[in-house]
Amino acid sequence: MTDISAESAAQSAKPTIFFDGVSSRRRQVTLTLADALEIVEAGVTPVRWAYDDIRRADSPAGVLRLASTSAPPLARLEIRDVALAADVTARCPRLDEHQTSRRGVAKIVGWSMAAAVSIVCVVLFGVPLAADRLAPLVPKPIERRIGDASEVQVKTIFGRNACSDSAGKAAFTKLVNRLRDAAGLDDDNMTAGVLPSAIPNAFALPGGKVYVLNALIDKAENPDELAGILAHELGHLKHHDNMRGLIYNGGTSFLIGLLFGDVTGSSAVIFASRSVVEASYSREAETAADTFAIDIMHALGRSPKPAAELMFRITGKEGGGLTSILASHPLTEDRLARMTKEDRPASGPPLLTDTEWQALKGICGSGKV
Amino acid sequence: MNDMQWAPIGSEPLPPPLPPTRVDFTGDRSTFRKMVTKGAMLELVTFGFYRFWLVTDIRRHLWSNTAIDGDAAEYTGRAKELLIGFLVALAILVPIYLAYFLVGIEFERWQGFASTPLFISFYAFGQFAIYRARRYRLTRTVWRGVRFWMDGSGWAYSFRAMLWGLLVFLTLGLALPWREASLERYKMRHTHFGDLQGDFEGDGWTFFKRGWWLWLLTPIAVVIFPLAPFFYAEFKAREWRWWLDGIRIGGVSLSSQLPHNAFYGLYWKVVGWWMLLSVVFGLYLGGATWLANAVGMAPTGPDAIARSIPLLVVMVIGYLAVVLAMNVVMRVYLQHDIWVKVLETLQVHDIGAAADVQGRGDLASALGEGFADGLDVAGF
Repeated sequence: MTDISAESAAQSAKPTIFFDGVSSRRRQVTLTLADALEIVEAGVTPVRWAYDDIRRADSPAGVLRLASTSAPPLARLEIRDVALAADVTARCPRLDEHQTSRRGVAKIVGWSMAAAVSIVCVVLFGVPLAADRLAPLVPKPIERRIGDASEVQVKTIFGRNACSDSAGKAAFTKLVNRLRDAAGLDDDNMTAGVLPSAIPNAFALPGGKVYVLNALIDKAENPDELAGILAHELGHLKHHDNMRGLIYNGGTSFLIGLLFGDVTGSSAVIFASRSVVEASYSREAETAADTFAIDIMHALGRSPKPAAELMFRITGKEGGGLTSILASHPLTEDRLARMTKEDRPASGPPLLTDTEWQALKGICGSGKV
Repeated sequence: MNDMQWAPIGSEPLPPPLPPTRVDFTGDRSTFRKMVTKGAMLELVTFGFYRFWLVTDIRRHLWSNTAIDGDAAEYTGRAKELLIGFLVALAILVPIYLAYFLVGIEFERWQGFASTPLFISFYAFGQFAIYRARRYRLTRTVWRGVRFWMDGSGWAYSFRAMLWGLLVFLTLGLALPWREASLERYKMRHTHFGDLQGDFEGDGWTFFKRGWWLWLLTPIAVVIFPLAPFFYAEFKAREWRWWLDGIRIGGVSLSSQLPHNAFYGLYWKVVGWWMLLSVVFGLYLGGATWLANAVGMAPTGPDAIARSIPLLVVMVIGYLAVVLAMNVVMRVYLQHDIWVKVLETLQVHDIGAAADVQGRGDLASALGEGFADGLDVAGF
């Protein structure tokens, strides 16, 4: 067997090259296929590689490039003769042991799927749970700091000063206080104000801040309409929705980013899936805040329906189109339908007198923004 | 120690300079195309995790088919290293993101939107990642049984990149050639092949002279946007040629004859594929919507949100398919074909100087690649 191999080595027409992994010198060698592979260079002690240690290294087509686990890591033997290459290959049982096989790829796919499934489960179940549990535990000072930061941003956008007509302010405070007492919120750290803006909206910030934009008051036709919306915002405060949203959005965007990583074009997928998931979470929070508002209005003996009517006047009918899955709020017509179902005749006193209501409408001065 | 025949310079008359050596690429394009197509599909079913394996396979293919002076290079990096590097980078980046968030809040409390400059710190981190990722790739590049390696500091590089970046910003991009020259000098002077040290001899002025008119024409490309691929291809070709001309490793030098219009075709092919895929995607979307309406699944009415889900799923699948097809197109044209075109026109001078180099240098960790991946600044 040895003789035959030695013969084939001698016959090889194309040179066999050896790099010893210590220097870049190109050594022309002959091979002896004994009980180990002997690499023979003229005038130098032969190098012996055990067949079991020989592994295939990357090479261009037509060259068999070998490495050995017991040699210096970069030592390479390059066989260009096809017959000799076949001879050597036949003797090395573990030549391709280190390559990624079909099973290796299946393993990667399997584990990736498992990782993806667990990430999806965490996004769908774990993160909402964590957000619900953690949000009430966030210390008040931290929440207030985050609130202060967003307040500065809000005021950069909507102007520095809250509206401060004194009679209007008194009426606003009265309305807010009645709602707050009915909601059972602590009064020590809640602030509410009206900001001059042409956009009809209201929002709650972390740390117990509620802001109403003046245009909403302009569009409201009676105190109940405004009260329902304020009650909804108080619901957000009661449920710590800002902190929950912050934890939830931070957690999901991190996990979804982790899932898709660096595939070109993935940012759109990340953005889309984040938007859908976050919108759905936000819609849940809004529905809960609506429930809260309904309860408060009932407790005060007023109907929640006017608030929904006000919203409907502002947004109009929203339904239709694919964008509804990205809506952060339930569709206004659905909210109107729900609040209409909860409509009850007034059993309590009006929340504000006519004079107070007129004063509130003038809280930002002449009503022009 | 080195008893090489070209050592005794000066005592004997210099031999006439040897003709320059060519760099051959022996890879098969269809093999590469099949590899990236299969890889893109695996990326889809693994939610992108396969990227570590695919990027390793791409490098292994390109490296091992690139033969300098008859000997092919080899890429010894492995996907597992990249995966681990990515996980370690995540472990480091997560607290940094959190700290960024908290510091940002303090800034915002003080002044609205004051935290925007903090974003710059991520740019610095990205530059650091670019340096360290290059170091990883280089230490996995082996030729003739000797590896390339790199020293120098990622943060020193990042600092330089930041200062130059500021200057480029202030000069509306005119300082770009000098930025590239300076950064490349830093990178190449800290690059080694065994005991040979690298250097970069390109200077900003040369690059400026080759490309300044492109800088002037850029506003035109904004108005007449079909010109943009021409300008970009022109710029890239000039940049490649200038860069290759400047590279030195020990006594070995490179020179490139890359024509200025070498990349026109490639970029236009990418644009063409992109348009074709967009049209196909548009038709697919139109068809899906029509079908949804036909079978009465139109997203209208009171439960519009729930009813729109099937159509959305169909759209997302279509989108992913288009993105993956585009990935294949970009890898084939912008990685493989550019690689081949650049090598075709590359010449290596005095390769004899690398005939007996002593192996040196240690492997660098894949952490840099992990950061680059995590920060989305990944290069090749």
